Amino acid sequence: MKLHCFERTFFHSSSSLTPIQLPAPMETHLWYVKPSEVRSESLLDQYLDILPPCERENVLQMRGEELRKSALLARALVRTTIARYQINSHSNPRSLKFRKNLHGKPEVQWQFRDDRHPPPLHFNISHTSSLVACGVTTNAQIGIDVEEKHRSIKHNILSFARRYFSKHEVQFLAAISDPQVQRMEFIKLWTLKEAYVKALGKGFSGAPFKTFTIRFKGVMEGGFNTLEDLSLKASEIVVDSFDDPTDLTSNWQFSLLELANSHYAAICTEKHGAGSGKRNSPGKLTVWKTVPFLEDECVSGTAAVKVIHGVQ
Amino acid sequence: MASFTASHVSFSAVPCSFKQNQVSNSRIASLSFSGKGFSSRKLPVLRFRVACAAKPETVNKVIEIVKKQLALPEDRDVSGESTFATLGADSLDTVEIVMGLEEEFGISVEEESAQSIATVQDAADLIEKLLEK
Repeated sequence: MKLHCFERTFFHSSSSLTPIQLPAPMETHLWYVKPSEVRSESLLDQYLDILPPCERENVLQMRGEELRKSALLARALVRTTIARYQINSHSNPRSLKFRKNLHGKPEVQWQFRDDRHPPPLHFNISHTSSLVACGVTTNAQIGIDVEEKHRSIKHNILSFARRYFSKHEVQFLAAISDPQVQRMEFIKLWTLKEAYVKALGKGFSGAPFKTFTIRFKGVMEGGFNTLEDLSLKASEIVVDSFDDPTDLTSNWQFSLLELANSHYAAICTEKHGAGSGKRNSPGKLTVWKTVPFLEDECVSGTAAVKVIHGVQ
Repeated sequence: MASFTASHVSFSAVPCSFKQNQVSNSRIASLSFSGKGFSSRKLPVLRFRVACAAKPETVNKVIEIVKKQLALPEDRDVSGESTFATLGADSLDTVEIVMGLEEEFGISVEEESAQSIATVQDAADLIEKLLEK
């Protein structure tokens, strides 16, 4: 995957958002905020101000200041991010409307006078109390999930995996002897599975975790079954779905990143034109760290973004 | 069984198109009327539960498991009405909480049922329903 950006840092006056072009097909944009870096009360008030009453109340209902802050930043991030792409008249973060699809996946409710084709922008958000992220694509379903690298799992990893993951995934985890490494591989696998389910947009029970396997496939045919094999650079993340034969592996591509040294982020996007015989080359990914209205920094290719899988 | 709590003023969410619809799989109809403290007079909160609600012991056990999973401070007020979302449970927490409940009560919760649990009360009611079987 190629990571690059042209301008590193934008500073601009408050209440302005640097406009940006939609990602090209096969390209993904990822925007993230670290709540710890948003300290200004007036900025937080600005974020609260762009939310409609119902979203504002949902934020205020969260129990605890940290939770309220990350809930607020999640809504502010998604609104300001979509507004940047200036789709027709939707350049005001305040005026965007959202709804849920049939299965509960949030999407933009585009306002047009005629009932034209909706713009091809797709998005998905994920947040922890320490990082909030929003992924954007054009003409492709997207699902993302972020988790703290050092998140503690209260249950025994293998018991958890046996209960919720597929057999192949349990075998993969069981083969790891170091408990710390096992925990981190578990978290990576969790984020990949979450990202896939969110990309499908069918909800947690629409694609139960046990009904699909995420595994790492080498450039040469044949699977990699152990962690040692993964150290080889060229591996691709693929999904095998047991339940849904129409949901082919070739439909989806995955990236797994380490963000800001603190979080794992998994991105799952729809692939078009797959199976045409040419090698599946992962699309381009551009990552920005942002404080909406204040500062954007393109961090692709820096230490803030480490690509774990998805690299050629 | 109707329960009336006259002393507590609570904030109820304004229905919002983007908020996930939580469809409870239990037969509880729950209405709450409450007001935000605009005046010094407190407004009563009325809650009507049509079907049988879970025993307080079950609810308390769920609260204990939730507090542990989410590492909540002891003074955090968690009740049957508390939603997992507002307590800060993400999907991984929710799955761990369900696992904790399965272990504690010796039950097995299907994915569909797990997805419909929104509040502590929902979880307690589901547990008792599964225990009845």
